[in-house]
Amino acid sequence: MTALNDVRLMLIESATRLFADHVDDKLLAAAKRDGWSASLWQELERAELPLVSIPEEAGGAGGALSDAAAVLRIAGRYTAPVPLAETGVLAAWMLAASGIAIPGGALAAGPARDADHVTAGHNGGRWELSGTFARVPWARVASRLVLLAEGPDGLIVACVDPGRCRITPGANLAGEPRDDVVLDRVVAEAAAPAGPGVDRETLKLRGALARSLMMAGALERSLELSVQYAQQRAQFGRKIGQFQAIQQELARFGGETAVAIAAALSAAGVMERGGDALLAVASAKIRTADAAREGALIAHQVHGAIGVTNEYALHHATLRLWAWREEFGNEAQWAMRLGARTQQHGPDPFWSDLTAA
Amino acid sequence: MFFENVDFSALDLPPPALKLREEVRAFLKAEVAAGSFTPHLGHAEFDAEFTRRVAARGWIGMTWPRRYGGRERPYLERFVVTEEMLAAAAPCAAHWAADRQTGPSLLRHGSDHLKEKYLPAIARGECYFALGMSEPGSGSDLASVRTRAERVEGGWRVTGQKVWTSWAHKAHAFFVLCRTSPDAGNRHEGLSQLVVELKSPGVTVRPIPFMDGRHSFNEVFLDNVFVPDERVVGEIGQGWKQVTSELALERSGPERYMTTFPLLVELIRRLGAAPDARAQEVVGKLTARLWALRRMSLGIAVALDPGADSESGATRTSVDLGTEAALVKDMGTFYEREIIDAARLLVEMEPTAATLDRLERYLAETVVCAPISTIRGGTTQVLRTLIARRLLGTLK
Repeated sequence: MTALNDVRLMLIESATRLFADHVDDKLLAAAKRDGWSASLWQELERAELPLVSIPEEAGGAGGALSDAAAVLRIAGRYTAPVPLAETGVLAAWMLAASGIAIPGGALAAGPARDADHVTAGHNGGRWELSGTFARVPWARVASRLVLLAEGPDGLIVACVDPGRCRITPGANLAGEPRDDVVLDRVVAEAAAPAGPGVDRETLKLRGALARSLMMAGALERSLELSVQYAQQRAQFGRKIGQFQAIQQELARFGGETAVAIAAALSAAGVMERGGDALLAVASAKIRTADAAREGALIAHQVHGAIGVTNEYALHHATLRLWAWREEFGNEAQWAMRLGARTQQHGPDPFWSDLTAA
Repeated sequence: MFFENVDFSALDLPPPALKLREEVRAFLKAEVAAGSFTPHLGHAEFDAEFTRRVAARGWIGMTWPRRYGGRERPYLERFVVTEEMLAAAAPCAAHWAADRQTGPSLLRHGSDHLKEKYLPAIARGECYFALGMSEPGSGSDLASVRTRAERVEGGWRVTGQKVWTSWAHKAHAFFVLCRTSPDAGNRHEGLSQLVVELKSPGVTVRPIPFMDGRHSFNEVFLDNVFVPDERVVGEIGQGWKQVTSELALERSGPERYMTTFPLLVELIRRLGAAPDARAQEVVGKLTARLWALRRMSLGIAVALDPGADSESGATRTSVDLGTEAALVKDMGTFYEREIIDAARLLVEMEPTAATLDRLERYLAETVVCAPISTIRGGTTQVLRTLIARRLLGTLK
């Protein structure tokens, strides 16, 4: 029997309580307007949740990647409008690994998309960064941008003030900031050669892992709301949950949600232990994105017309599912990569690759 | 809502299980090299010789107590053996029903006499069991069985008919769910489980050929068959409870999602090192879905693994993963079909059983057997109704 250790159980309990206490309709409505919730962020910082999995000696909260994974699943479940993944498992991870002090506040991280590049040049003892990024998550609300740039002798991790960048606000379907950012010889406040393990591939894997975990959480929320609704809503003189047609859909939804949770949490464990990260994270992103497609539509079907309104809570979760499945590579992109690798390895190692630790 | 308290970051198999995996792989490789069996998909193959060789390695009833022929190994090791056998399409039909269902039922509910009589013989690969559940009028609605047993001196006289009884023509005995007292309002009461030896006087086994002409199903007629008291499983009247206590571990194993896996391997072989983008995407998606299902199944196995069985059957932990286990079965059976469609749509071929081409043969074998997995052991629709009720709680 392998149960969760006490430390992680306490983390899960306290994070769940914090999100449940603070994330309500009012906060989510305000975040739609403001792009995020600064007050929720303060609560999270007070509880030291953003820097879980970052070593304490680097200024983090300590813990393993699976601890951060547990928190991200809960953040997804409560559709928390804050850059939790970006601050911790992306930005602070790059900084800590590269020996750069982690600044306070919410952080954004980039590049998030394969096509985007930033270059770093040395100019009189300072690093200057130039480049154009599309749809950087949370750029305009972040206190600092942490960028993985191409320097003359390799990758550079740099921390810049977003106030020195040209930022064009954008948003994903759920209203979360996804901003275009232009850097024109922006001086880095801190920079260093990318530390061990910090590269574009790993950054993307960690981003995809984070979105998988958040989608698993948002699926849980959608399913919870759907089950509650089916228990309350009556039509034809019966609760709609008593109709087998609805029951069959809820069961299917349950499967999609459960497998999304298993895949996303497992992928975090594999990455944490240095296992086959491509297999694990690609699988998790593919499976959670598939689950997002199936689950969000079942949730809305069960809810009927009320579910598509701005007042009812379901859309906070479903809009995020539809946005997050595209970010850090959608299921088709990851499937092509994974399939290409499977075919290159060939049929004989396929099973042993799948069962390797 | 799901997987409370399951640690997915700790699904590493312990070293003995990893070592065992290598042993099973080496065994199967040697079997294939020696031409001892031809892998087939669809109908699991019944091969008593193969079963005896597996038994000789200690891989049947491996979680059972030593005094009943077991090896007292943890369930995770059984998980490993099972998935390796499935990956190799090994012919396990002779022992799978007993290893997965009959044996554990006997351990939990059987008398010392029954355990001593059957378990060591099963573990030696010498005694094969079938399951007598369905009847002409009882498919999904198992509680409606009409086979009845009447009290006589020293035992029971059983009369009725069972159908879809796989391998009854080769098995030694089968579990019969029957009515031992009339339905007096509560239909779940008055049912009992008996072990009926298939060569007993009054038992007639007739084949029900499958649509491809193959024979694994049977109908079994019971005409006033005498069953001594000592072959009653558990308590008279408790049959329903015993039958429905199929455990999460038994419902969520690799059998539920891997029966078409070798077709995927052959598909990968045929597509070659650099197939087109469409094939890459399909293979990638199938890989991801299998990885995810396996992690879910493994998560349940690791969380529930009670170690070896105790003398009175496994002592289980209090974690309830019943819903998750049912979901593995539901999704797993549909995943198996996705492989079939991928193969037929990515490779131009016509399924033929009579071919030397393994991919074409596997396709033929899986296409015709595809309907079975979502019917056997409870249809998808019944399973989903149970899952939904668990999700909805007690909805009035």
